[in-house]
Amino acid sequence: MSVPSTTDCGCAPSAAAPLTIKDFRSDLKPIWCPGCGDYGVVTALYRALVNIGRPAHEVAFISGIGCSSRIPGYTTAYGFNTVHGRALPVAQGIKMANPDLLVLVAGGDGDGFSIGGGHVPHAIRRNLDLTYIVMDNHIYGLTKGQMSPTTPRGAKTNSTTYGSLEEPVNPLLYVLAYGAGFVAQGLPADMEGLTKMIEAAIRYPGFSFVNIQSPCVTFGDPNDQMKVQKAKMKKLADLGHDPTNRLRAMDLAQAYGTELYTGIFYQNPTPPETYDQMIRARQAELQAK
Amino acid sequence: MLNDMIIGMAGSGGDGIVSAGDALISAAAREGYYAMLTKSFGSQIRGGESSCRLRVATTPVLNPGGTLDVAVVLNWEDFLRFGGELPVGTDTVVLYEKKTGVEPAAIPLKVQPGIVLAVPMADLAIKSAGTLQAKNNVVLGLLAGWFNLGREAILEGIRRKFAKKGAEVLQGNERAYAAGLAYADEHPLTRDMRLAPPVATGAKRRVTDGNEICAEAALFAGCKFFGGYPITPATEIMQYLQKDIWKHGGSLLQAEDEIAGIAAVVGASFAGKKAMTATSGPGFSLKSEVIGLASIAELPLVCVNVQRGGPSTGLPTKTEQADLFAAVFSAHGDTVRPVLAPIGVSDVFGVTVEAFNIAEAYQTPVIVLSDQEIAQRKDVIDPVDTTPFKLIERLKPTPEELAAGYNRFKITDSGVSPLSHPGMPGGSYLAAGIEHNEHGDPTSSGEMHERMNNKRLNKLNPLKTRDDLFILEGDIDAPLGVISWGGMAGAALEAVRTARAQGIPVKLLIPKLLYPIAESVYRDFFASLQRCVVVEQSHQGQLHRLIRMWVDVPRDFTSLARSGANPIPPAAIVQRLRVMAESLANHPATPAP
Repeated sequence: MSVPSTTDCGCAPSAAAPLTIKDFRSDLKPIWCPGCGDYGVVTALYRALVNIGRPAHEVAFISGIGCSSRIPGYTTAYGFNTVHGRALPVAQGIKMANPDLLVLVAGGDGDGFSIGGGHVPHAIRRNLDLTYIVMDNHIYGLTKGQMSPTTPRGAKTNSTTYGSLEEPVNPLLYVLAYGAGFVAQGLPADMEGLTKMIEAAIRYPGFSFVNIQSPCVTFGDPNDQMKVQKAKMKKLADLGHDPTNRLRAMDLAQAYGTELYTGIFYQNPTPPETYDQMIRARQAELQAK
Repeated sequence: MLNDMIIGMAGSGGDGIVSAGDALISAAAREGYYAMLTKSFGSQIRGGESSCRLRVATTPVLNPGGTLDVAVVLNWEDFLRFGGELPVGTDTVVLYEKKTGVEPAAIPLKVQPGIVLAVPMADLAIKSAGTLQAKNNVVLGLLAGWFNLGREAILEGIRRKFAKKGAEVLQGNERAYAAGLAYADEHPLTRDMRLAPPVATGAKRRVTDGNEICAEAALFAGCKFFGGYPITPATEIMQYLQKDIWKHGGSLLQAEDEIAGIAAVVGASFAGKKAMTATSGPGFSLKSEVIGLASIAELPLVCVNVQRGGPSTGLPTKTEQADLFAAVFSAHGDTVRPVLAPIGVSDVFGVTVEAFNIAEAYQTPVIVLSDQEIAQRKDVIDPVDTTPFKLIERLKPTPEELAAGYNRFKITDSGVSPLSHPGMPGGSYLAAGIEHNEHGDPTSSGEMHERMNNKRLNKLNPLKTRDDLFILEGDIDAPLGVISWGGMAGAALEAVRTARAQGIPVKLLIPKLLYPIAESVYRDFFASLQRCVVVEQSHQGQLHRLIRMWVDVPRDFTSLARSGANPIPPAAIVQRLRVMAESLANHPATPAP
């Protein structure tokens, strides 16, 4: 059940002195509501980046539009708060232009699975070495409470007064089905687990996906807040899940929306060559001619 | 003898008309002529009607020209589908397939051409080569024989083309070519229509198109990333680049859609590399939001829009100049984006390099408006002399600026702020589509928005004095003026030269920089004018209207504009100038009240 260590992903520390959270936290004060799950996400990210050890200027952190997409501004990385739904293609251009960078992508469920949903399969099959973090709160928060692609059917929101008529997207099953090599789900309520999983995602050489159940305190379901989540969560590790078993991972992922599993659903034990590695090989081969 | 000849040919897909055109232009280049080959198809992928026009001359060819000197008709139905693209006049020599069964006196044309010849093309092909597939080589033989189009060079081309197909096929096609030549020799024309020998210059000319030149220029300019999506008629830019960009240490993404293509370009630019995309109308519409992002994030990029007929799917295989408004006003918000347009195949090189230079110098997206004709027609051009081109690199922060606390969007005198990129210690900042202060922090302050708009708009002001991005021809004090741009400019240039030779007092202005409007350049041009016409290929006359928005224009400021796929030949422009000259003589200028 142990996950093979894959640390040769350009993540070797290149800073001389050990890094601290201060090295990654910017002076900008978050605009998030008090109690928002995203505070926990950014804290877990700082910790993961400290553990990874790459200096902030070697990190490119790309987001779309939404509450959660403000996150790059709260780090000292090179941030890019792009347009709605296009964080993944922007990030891929960055990684292709400079494969030496550590590239992180973040956004909300609307950004990733509604307006930007068409980019996810292609980012997965292209398999550039980047980490995609989705802060999934089942609601459009920045526009003040409309149905999102992961809003449960029947939920009443500001755009579904009589209840949503749509089945929600299942982000976990979606990315597993397209062949993502690393798929995990975490909670800000479980800071230690979240930090470890983000770190593992960054270390995975290839496209990695972390879905974070990050509750919206203002427009979200009162029964889906951090305390409730903490009580409800089930760690996959405790269930004896083998994260190299993709079919079992897909089976567990089907419980999205009913069970709250946390941890690594799937990690490819033999990661294939990444797109950025292949680009380098092609450049070297053709330049030698 | 003729110094300039226009040949138009049409047939159905399998007739090999377009490959005959390719053979003729290659031969013309080898012989030392200048030439231009435009192809036109129905929108079918294969089959359907196809046509080409070859203009071959002893001096550089500026435009595809108007009325045909020679028309080759493989079947009348297909020929007539091209209408105004293949105009026949009373002086045209018409060669048509005898098997069509039409009598020379009864050909279905509005005019009766002077020389009409029914030639048994199919019979000659069958007799010589045993296959109808050799028909286009019979046509080549006829053209070489009657019009002196380089007998040896065409034969050499046939040998090269069929060398790999086996001796039998090669010999069959050689015999078909010889049969055409023999037929021409046995049936001499009643008028001398031979092309004059080429004027030797010693330069080794090449046959190429605007899309290929665009890709070459991008690599020359230092482009290290291309992101795009296949779309007619821009796709070849990506196809050419994907062969070579890796050798330059760059990479290329065929993205999942047009938006992802340009989004990746913005990413590559943010990462510090020169980057571009290329598209056509529908793709350009999709890209507009991300173009706006590049404007506010002040990231350089080049977006080539190879215009085709629009709106929507429009006329995907035909040229038009109707995306000028879309380019100038692409994306929402209060901003200015430089728009450039090349005037011909060879000019695409300089304009593309200039687009990268402007993008990097001013940290802005730059739009290049090419068009289907420039992009896909074949021109014989002299080798591009790259020595005059200087390459501009983006302004980066100095170690001192980084140490002093870096402000990415620092308001400077020029409006251009040093631009760092990921990997540069001390240069971290937040790029964003949201309004920001000098440091890059998001803001919703109206005051800051005003200051940043000032910065972003005023930094482009130096472009308005770039008179080197305009072509001016004719007497500075002429009372008549022509303005034209892009693919139409060649026809305007030829028309103005013809008109001046006829004594019409006219001058010409061709902007390669379409936006921002260089007000002073237009004002200087207008100073002597009493009448002016803007010649362009769009229904609304978009440049005509755009100039009026920015500059006080002469009292009689008119438009000669047609929708795409309706060429405006030089003769039509000369005709308009003649009317303007007469009007000027009859109604001399009265002083303004």
